[in-house]
Amino acid sequence: MRQRAKNPTTWPIAGLALGCLVAFGAGEARALTAQEILNYKGPDRQQMLVKGARKEGKLVIYSSMIINQMLRPLTEAFGKKYPFLEVKYWRGSSGKTFRKVTAEMRANALAADVIEGSGITGRIVKAKIAQPFYSPELKAYPKIIRDPNRVWATTRLRYIGGAYNTKLVAKAEVPQTMEDLLNPKWKGKIAWRAGTSSSGQMIVITTLLLAWGDERTETFLKALAKQNVVPLHMSNRGVVDRVIEGEYWLAIGASAHHPVISARKGAPVAPMLLEPVPTLNATISILKGVPRPHAAMLMVDYLLSVEGQKLLQKQGYLPARPGVPPAEDLRQIVPSLVGKKEFFVSPKALLTTTKKSKKLAKKYFR
Amino acid sequence: MTAGPHKAESTYGAAMAAAGRSLWRKFGVSPVVGALILVLVILIFPPLIFLVKTSLYTTTFTGAFDKFTFGFYGELVNDPLFITSLRNTAVYAMGSATVAILLGALQAWIVERTNTPLRKYVFLVAIISLGIPSVLYTISFLLLLGKTGPVNQLLDFFFATGRDGINVYSMWGMIVIEGIDFAPLAFLLLSSVFRSTDASFEEAAMMSGAGVLRTFRKVTMKLALPGIYALLILIFIRAFESFETPAFVGRPGGIYVLTTNIFENIQVDEPPNFGQAGAFAIALLAIVWVLLYWYNQLSRRAERFQTITGKGYRPRVMDLGPWRYVTAGVLVVLFFVIIGFPLGIVLYASFQPFYEGVTLSGFSTMTLENYYQVFKPGSFRDAIVNTVILGVSTASVVGPFTLLCAWLAVRRYRGAWLLDQLATLPLVFPSIVMSVAFLQVFLESPIPLYGTLLSIIIASSVRYLPYGMRYSYAGVLQIHKELEEAAALAGATQPKTFLRVVAPLVAPALMTCWIFVFLVSTKAVSIPILLSGPDSQVIAVTMFDLWENGQTVELAAVGVSWAVFMTVLSTLFYILARKYGLKFE
Repeated sequence: MRQRAKNPTTWPIAGLALGCLVAFGAGEARALTAQEILNYKGPDRQQMLVKGARKEGKLVIYSSMIINQMLRPLTEAFGKKYPFLEVKYWRGSSGKTFRKVTAEMRANALAADVIEGSGITGRIVKAKIAQPFYSPELKAYPKIIRDPNRVWATTRLRYIGGAYNTKLVAKAEVPQTMEDLLNPKWKGKIAWRAGTSSSGQMIVITTLLLAWGDERTETFLKALAKQNVVPLHMSNRGVVDRVIEGEYWLAIGASAHHPVISARKGAPVAPMLLEPVPTLNATISILKGVPRPHAAMLMVDYLLSVEGQKLLQKQGYLPARPGVPPAEDLRQIVPSLVGKKEFFVSPKALLTTTKKSKKLAKKYFR
Repeated sequence: MTAGPHKAESTYGAAMAAAGRSLWRKFGVSPVVGALILVLVILIFPPLIFLVKTSLYTTTFTGAFDKFTFGFYGELVNDPLFITSLRNTAVYAMGSATVAILLGALQAWIVERTNTPLRKYVFLVAIISLGIPSVLYTISFLLLLGKTGPVNQLLDFFFATGRDGINVYSMWGMIVIEGIDFAPLAFLLLSSVFRSTDASFEEAAMMSGAGVLRTFRKVTMKLALPGIYALLILIFIRAFESFETPAFVGRPGGIYVLTTNIFENIQVDEPPNFGQAGAFAIALLAIVWVLLYWYNQLSRRAERFQTITGKGYRPRVMDLGPWRYVTAGVLVVLFFVIIGFPLGIVLYASFQPFYEGVTLSGFSTMTLENYYQVFKPGSFRDAIVNTVILGVSTASVVGPFTLLCAWLAVRRYRGAWLLDQLATLPLVFPSIVMSVAFLQVFLESPIPLYGTLLSIIIASSVRYLPYGMRYSYAGVLQIHKELEEAAALAGATQPKTFLRVVAPLVAPALMTCWIFVFLVSTKAVSIPILLSGPDSQVIAVTMFDLWENGQTVELAAVGVSWAVFMTVLSTLFYILARKYGLKFE
């Protein structure tokens, strides 16, 4: 009810007005289109964005970042920087976010200005629903995590590992490889997230398929299925919480930084990395028909800037920007720093392989 | 008929003419009735049509309708998933209805038929529990009965079971949790059954030498049985279409029911499998339809067992002597099971920095951080405000609307029978099905309604119309026509009669209706879960998301705050109800 929906009658009128202006040669007086705003490179870019955002008055971000750990601190810091903006967030897995925005676009009521997550990238590229944008911050990022078509930009990294309950599992017992999970003592004690693409069940299977090939992966999954790994329908943060409670001994396919963040508060949990360690990049995008392009661009700039990346660092998330290293206690989960083999799963590989992973998951784990 | 052929012919003609006239009369409706019928048709038919359409189309990658197919219905017959989930649904619904009725009947009997101390407070407990969102309720039981919950800790302490004493993520777990959740409703409905049983039958039994227990078994129960059967089906239906317990308890244990399958088709599958969800939904709708028909038949038959007759009817309580302390003990235990323990553990969790089961050390690490997050400006506060707006709006729409419909129907205005039929129709829509159907309507609607609070209010109003009808109908039936005739004789117009005579007289019924709709619409998660957007978060959905996102301790703080708010409100309602003699059953 309070959603700021576009008045459907304003568009034709605006179009007509624009047409008249162009016809009378008054082109330079017209307002910029969303496409132009997103790709503006003039020296007055910042002033233009702030001026426009002030009129828009609001920013809505959809993200898969955990609310209390990152999403709320992010929106609070952003709101402090631009106090004229009312900053709203909605948290959902990448799959849920994708379904939500496509539904909104169908209903002609897109509410999100920016969307952020690690499984969302491939989906929006395939659906062709995002628009290219330019940010001066982009050039600081390495090529491997930059999109040549500029419809997404990397905001943070995720190392996928697991977690173990330190009261239930001694450090010496902690599995080091995927095969270690097949030890009969873990039967019924491992949990992972069901569904989705970029965590839990799916990311484990996808990474193995990419790293090991079909045959070895299927042999392994057949054996793993006998371990009665428990599928949970919640975020992988939730799965780690069940490990903290002691409901399960181990979590796999979870973001390795979640147990570290909990350990900061004294929770009996620690991260574990199993080779090959899947690495994912979370990205930010702006969709076609974005309701508030100026505010959206300010958010993109902020999240990619040193200031935004330092906030990630402080909250225990993994910055993607070179020059902003992960926090001290997170170094234990960076594969290259602890001598573990890492495996980068690109957005494209993630999307194309997930189909096969889903089939295998259905075959062995449901 | 004994008439000859010629006569028959002319009778036939006359009958045709009469039929034509009555047909015309049937459809010739007064403008008010016509307008109301139109409103109902506009509200109820688009979701139904879209639901059918949904089940007949495949979905594109971005969720739009793609190709026409009957395939989803074909799959229903062959899909082992459908058969298993149908069987699971039946077992689960039957089990939880049985648990709810056992607990409810026990309480109702103690409260209505005995002189047990404390018995009057059971109503208050029941009304409070009606206001607690099922999401919170289910989660609190998971905390209690989970591997690290106090129950398993106790089992381990006494029997050294380790952490595997009981596994709540199972069929019995679902049945117990849902059964306890429905027990207060069963109690409220059964207390009226026990209240309206003529005590003289029981007295006769006692005089003939039967003890309290025997009397209860052979007389009280036998007389209440038809009412109990009807209630059994009612709760069976409610459990059949319930969503929260299967979602939180069933899914981790791999136990799927129809509603969780529909939910996953839309919220987990990619692209969303709207087609299969639609086919499942239509199947669920058909089953509920049959069950409701059966329920109506049974409750009609139950009337034959009415024991309140013209002769001096006295509901009387039994003197249990010293046993009344035992029954009081039972009430206290049930209080703890239904409200005390679940809210207790949520309260404990709400003060924790992270949740790690109930431990002694937990008491030394308590923090107010979670409450700070709830009460500072932001999404939680918005969700609370939205929920109150949702409850108040839905109740304020449903109450007066159904009152007008019920009055027109009871006074047999032309065509008003159709109003009654239409307003009760949404009863066959399980909430999750209603949500799927309205989701499609709002997605295709030219007016941008998707994701707005208004869209949730519309869907909830339609969903709870039948409940409103039930209260309003009962209220209007109690008013004799002669009062309105007197008003008409004194020169009042029809609208004036309705506003000045009828409305004040049915005010208590309207108030009960309002309260009930307010409570159920703020409690439900399955209507808003598919419809809410970033600006229209409500408490039940917020709690659902918090659980999925693993923010157990913040969830607990939200839950406690909401429960306190609803308890204050419920207590006010309770006081109001006692003052004005409102009846919730």
